[in-house]
Amino acid sequence: MSEEKKNIRKEFVVRVYIVYFGVMLFGIAILLRILDLQVVQGSHWRSKADSMSTELRNIEAVRGNIYSDDGSLMATSSPSYEIRLDVGTPSITKTIWDENVDGLASAFADLFKDRTKNEYLRDLKIAQTEHDRYHLIQREVSFDKVRELNALSYFKKGKFKNGLITIQKNLREKPLEQLASRTIGYPPSEGRTAVGIEGAFDSILAGVSGKRLEQKIAGGIWKPLRDANSIEPQDGHDVISTIDKNIQDVAENALKNSLIKNKAESGCVIIMEVATGEVRAIANLRRQTDGTYEEVLNYAISEATEPGSTFKLISMIAAMDDGLVDLNDSVNTTGGVTKYFNQVMKDSHEGGYGRITAQRAFELSSNVGISKLIYGAYAKNPEAFIDHLYKMKVNEPLNLQISGETAPDIKSVKDPRWSGVSLPWMAIGYELRMTPLQQLTFYNAVANNGKMVKPLLVKEIRDKGKILKHFDPIVICDSICSAKTLVKARKMLEGVVERGTGTTIRDTLVRIAGKTGTAQRSLGTTGYKSTENKVSYQASFAGYFPAEAPVYSGIVVVYSPSTEVYYGGSVSAPVFREIADQVYASRIEMHKELTASYVPGREYIPKIKFGFQRDLEKVYTQLGFTATTANPAADWAQVVPQNNNMTLLESKVAKNIVPNVVGMGIKDALYLLENAGLNVRFRGRGLIIKQSIGAGTGIISGTEIILELG
Amino acid sequence: MNWLFKYTYGDRVIWLVIILLSMFSILAVYSSTGTLAYKMQGGNTEYYLFKHGAIVFVGFIILLGSHLIKYTYYSRIAQIALFISIPLLLFTLIWGSHYNQANRWITLPVINMSFQTSDFAKLALIMYLARSLSRRQENIKDFKGAFVPIIIPVLIICALILPANLSTAALLFMTCLLVMFIGRVSMKYILLLIAAGVICFMFFISISLLTKKTGRITTWVARIENFMHPVEDDDGNYQAQHAKIAVAANGVLGKGPGNSTQRNFLPEAYSDYIYAIIIEEYGFPGGAAVLILYLILFHRTIRIVKKSPRAFASLLAVGCGFMLVFQAMVNMAVAVNLFPVTGQPLPFVSMGGTSIWFTSISLGIILSVSRDLEQEENKISKDNSNQIHPESLEVSY
Repeated sequence: MSEEKKNIRKEFVVRVYIVYFGVMLFGIAILLRILDLQVVQGSHWRSKADSMSTELRNIEAVRGNIYSDDGSLMATSSPSYEIRLDVGTPSITKTIWDENVDGLASAFADLFKDRTKNEYLRDLKIAQTEHDRYHLIQREVSFDKVRELNALSYFKKGKFKNGLITIQKNLREKPLEQLASRTIGYPPSEGRTAVGIEGAFDSILAGVSGKRLEQKIAGGIWKPLRDANSIEPQDGHDVISTIDKNIQDVAENALKNSLIKNKAESGCVIIMEVATGEVRAIANLRRQTDGTYEEVLNYAISEATEPGSTFKLISMIAAMDDGLVDLNDSVNTTGGVTKYFNQVMKDSHEGGYGRITAQRAFELSSNVGISKLIYGAYAKNPEAFIDHLYKMKVNEPLNLQISGETAPDIKSVKDPRWSGVSLPWMAIGYELRMTPLQQLTFYNAVANNGKMVKPLLVKEIRDKGKILKHFDPIVICDSICSAKTLVKARKMLEGVVERGTGTTIRDTLVRIAGKTGTAQRSLGTTGYKSTENKVSYQASFAGYFPAEAPVYSGIVVVYSPSTEVYYGGSVSAPVFREIADQVYASRIEMHKELTASYVPGREYIPKIKFGFQRDLEKVYTQLGFTATTANPAADWAQVVPQNNNMTLLESKVAKNIVPNVVGMGIKDALYLLENAGLNVRFRGRGLIIKQSIGAGTGIISGTEIILELG
Repeated sequence: MNWLFKYTYGDRVIWLVIILLSMFSILAVYSSTGTLAYKMQGGNTEYYLFKHGAIVFVGFIILLGSHLIKYTYYSRIAQIALFISIPLLLFTLIWGSHYNQANRWITLPVINMSFQTSDFAKLALIMYLARSLSRRQENIKDFKGAFVPIIIPVLIICALILPANLSTAALLFMTCLLVMFIGRVSMKYILLLIAAGVICFMFFISISLLTKKTGRITTWVARIENFMHPVEDDDGNYQAQHAKIAVAANGVLGKGPGNSTQRNFLPEAYSDYIYAIIIEEYGFPGGAAVLILYLILFHRTIRIVKKSPRAFASLLAVGCGFMLVFQAMVNMAVAVNLFPVTGQPLPFVSMGGTSIWFTSISLGIILSVSRDLEQEENKISKDNSNQIHPESLEVSY
């Protein structure tokens, strides 16, 4: 090796060592920095770590559902998400933003369809200029849509965070919307007290939330630390209410129509099953400022008012059971006016009814007659009357399964409010307060052969279909009166409808027994008269049906009907009748068996316009009609009735156009329409009377057609 | 083990360093991919263990293969590789796949693996630099005759890498300068170059800003700003903060293998911040051990320089060695927050397919030189003659 080469190598080595020295210094600097972080700044960073890392986080249990008696969902939970955008996240640079904001806006518009692309674009741009890090995009977004959102290319741009913020909320939904909404109630949440079944059964519905150790990872995601949860969440149990969806629907509609017709302030209806006390319908409506009626308060259980005439049943039963009054006792209604001390009592019917029987006084709801009978019986010993009322438990609260009940107020003779006129006025339902449900409980007892049962709103508690608890009928009072008295009471109630104040509802499919009530409403400080010197009324009807073998009892109360018509018989009784008729029509078990001698006549021809030919033939033949088929091979036929002879003409169903289904039964219509690719929704019972898409229209597969049955 | 020794040659210490680094690598990668596994693989944490294990295994095969190639061939390979890398970089810059806004990757057809073309170009350039430096040793202080032809390929490659990957370009440029320094290039010219580099960079930024094609510049500015003035709740700062928490986690002693917490917080804990995870789990001793392993590696290449009679061999070994060690130092400096975020992996430790394999080639080259040296020593001791080896004529001093 030459000298020169050796020198070159030497220089290499020297220079390499210089570099190596530099690298060593670099390395030492790194090691010193490690020690600096670990020792000098150590505690600072460690405390920071503690506040950032893990947390025992709640896993929300799934809230149980509330079902109606007939198995329809009344309240259920579904997850929903609130979508927000962190527009200012540093991961999204100006370039990404500018390139993607347009696509983002149109994606939002496509996905949510509530605003146009330009509207979204405008909002996003405002958010950008304001550097909004919590920009609201949409509330109540389904899980599917959140998934679609995450798939958008924009949200794949950011390295650490993409700016998409999703906040999960469990949304409580009432699939039946307003139906019995106040009785279903809502679960407790910030700022409002829970009401209804949701409130009362909250502990059962809510379940127990679990716990899980989670750790925050990059991107603000919480990651479970272990596979198993620390505490498994226990899903809430289901509550089966006693409410029957159909009866509730009928009751609510009937009430609403009546309220609208009578321009009333509010009203409520309760329908109860006689034998068990299970409440099948409970509707409360109140006029809103915009004139519509909404369910906002549970009048049925909370509105304790002076019941008025409906209370006469209770006083009469007491007197008859004590043997002090009988149906045929006569009473002088003295021109419709009488005076107790300085207080004047009037009948609503001017001029009175002269001398009539006790039964008649009840049927005609004569205040003078009933008060005289009761006063006559108990004037010397009013305590006996009150004691008898107490014995029948009418003074006790029902202790319902849901909260919000107002206890009845029936004062004793020792009460400082007691006066000489208390007895006659209490006899006709004043100077005491009861809620509609408390009154109904008494009427139900009369229908239930004297056995008073507690109204039930919840029937069962289930866990994944398994019955955990069944609420059996609870007897409040085995027998409110003797069997003899009961027969008389029921006779009086039937009389009211037959020939008394309730004749408005005499002609019905099902025989109703009941009592009307028209009470003046005490309006607090202004007494019975309002500031405009107007009397406000409360029109009610309480009763049961069928009169001969009661299955359902019910009460209808309409508060402050503002037109000239305010009598219970005219305002509330028709609501009761409508419900009774519809319930009866839909409950085959309530119908009397048809006698064998029944001969079909023209007026009874089952009216079907058309349907599946073989079915029609079978039905008509079974019923004793002759059915002549024009084309025996035809699938669908149209019916032309001539006396007892039915001619079935072929009816062709064309492809790809909506067939005419008016006049068909739902079974045939469903078959035809669903096969044609339409989505069928229907409401009501009976034959189809209306179809939302007209016959002859071209079919677009998947469109919804709504059928109305009646 | 005997069969293994049969096919492995060269410096045993370097082999030991590589094996120790790969062990650290597998442990740290397995620990730090938990979050990634949870996000991408439905919680199958073994997925990344096996994947990384396979990559390291293939890396060893590449290492084995490349160290068996006689180092003199790398002179020729360097020429070809450099020639290929220019169009490759251009192609990547224009059509490469976007990953975090930088066009750094291209996907190889057929095997469908993406790799960072700069990794390839880096290696090619260092090899080429060793070649051109060694060929001009006689007139190395000459400006036109030596400096200009040496520097031109360096400038071209760095300029092509720069738009997409500033830190790699800067790091490569620095590495080249230092290799040139070792290769006896005059300090005067090197200082001149640094000045020129700064001016060029300024020029690039102003052009980008003027044409509004900001590209990566915003990210750079943001990262440097973050480093200078940390802002709360910011991504860059977020990483730095969690890296610092990781380093400080359990004082001087670590939390123990697999007990890292910050792996869940640090984005790319398995790559850019793997050193922070190593310190979190193995404490100061672990961190120091890894650092010292790289220093040993560099020291062993100095041993080659001292022994090797040939300029190309020396410069090739020290170039490859320095490139790896310098990158490692920068990565570690970032992990302990001495430097702003750069995104350089820790050679042979960070997860990542092709980067490990290019590192394997670099290490293979060093070992190839070392192997040749060993063989020569054996020959000399056997022949006991002073005869100059024919190969030494090829690239003469």
